[in-house]
Amino acid sequence: MTTAVQPAGGGGGGGFDRPSSSSLADVIDTILDKGLVIDAYVRVSLVGIELLTIDARIVVASVDTYLRFAEAVNRLDISDNEQKGLPDLMQDMSQGGARSKTKGAIEAAGDKLRDFLGEDEQAQSAGRGRKGD
Amino acid sequence: MAQQTEKPREDTAEQTVCYVYGIVPADVETDPEARGVGDPPSPIEAVRHGELAALVSEIRADRPLGKPEDLAAHARILDATSAEAPVLPLRFGAVLTGSEAVERELLAEHHDEFHAALQELEGKAEYVLKGRYDEQAVLREIVTENEEAAQLREEIRDKPADATRNERIALGELINNAIAAKREADTQHALDALGELATTVNVREPTHEEDAVHVAFLAEVAAQQDLEQAVGELAGEWRDRVELRLLGPLAPYDFVVTQQPQQE
Repeated sequence: MTTAVQPAGGGGGGGFDRPSSSSLADVIDTILDKGLVIDAYVRVSLVGIELLTIDARIVVASVDTYLRFAEAVNRLDISDNEQKGLPDLMQDMSQGGARSKTKGAIEAAGDKLRDFLGEDEQAQSAGRGRKGD
Repeated sequence: MAQQTEKPREDTAEQTVCYVYGIVPADVETDPEARGVGDPPSPIEAVRHGELAALVSEIRADRPLGKPEDLAAHARILDATSAEAPVLPLRFGAVLTGSEAVERELLAEHHDEFHAALQELEGKAEYVLKGRYDEQAVLREIVTENEEAAQLREEIRDKPADATRNERIALGELINNAIAAKREADTQHALDALGELATTVNVREPTHEEDAVHVAFLAEVAAQQDLEQAVGELAGEWRDRVELRLLGPLAPYDFVVTQQPQQE
């Protein structure tokens, strides 16, 4: 009865993704911290597991995230209530200006972040602390 | 629980141990083609006791697990089973010394509680709904709805990042909080829309800052089409705003609970 085949799904045009098997990320979300734990029942040890990055998937909002959101908002095209914004932006894009500007901003953010991380963790948790004004 | 794992088994020369995937009703048959974790992967076997069977495969004791193929194999075996039969999934990495230990220490010792749990799961499987916001769409919503965000946006517009660092951080934090609030509301909306198709739900932690919804449902496999249709309607409602994925049937990882070991 154990078969490797799932009932052929295909959500049926509902406009959502219906993968027939889980991605590695999906699997990691599921099988590493959920399910029965055998050594609570039985005295055996787990085999050596080469997994170092489980915690890396926990979402921690950081200054890095904030700066990325801010830049995304900065680049946001709100065509409804900013008639002027759109043509400007289009022009910038066609000249390649927007792209290089964006790149500069991201690099600058990265530099700043490195400075930040280089100092100490207190500076990071302070969040809004500003360096070297 | 008594100590009882010290006896050397006859297979010590090869140093193989028994990897356990999950527990199923005794009448489940294994697919002779199915292969498990490890390198090279061994066939999946069933160790039976009373009303129960454990899905196991042999692995070498000296080789650590954890390669992507190992994780995928563990999930594949259990998820494929869950479409056909109830299954109690074990967390990745569970090993006993041999099939006798599986029968005696795992199945015999917990026969009644496992059996009861399997009966409760009969006909059910886990489905996981994951939604990710379209970044442009959700940011546009927030800037439109939130005056402070709109104002901060004006303050940083076309100014160098260095000169507006504080405003940027304030704006980003505001966005992050606004997304978290939307996630909570949209998760609730998904639960309202799909909850009646589920026996139980488990709201999972987000795994990305733009996650809109991440929920596991325990639902009847027979009602899978209803669930798919309901998710389809939700996807239509959230078109261009949230990208939805539905996984399953999966083994009910979110819904099996390990009891605290009793100190005797």
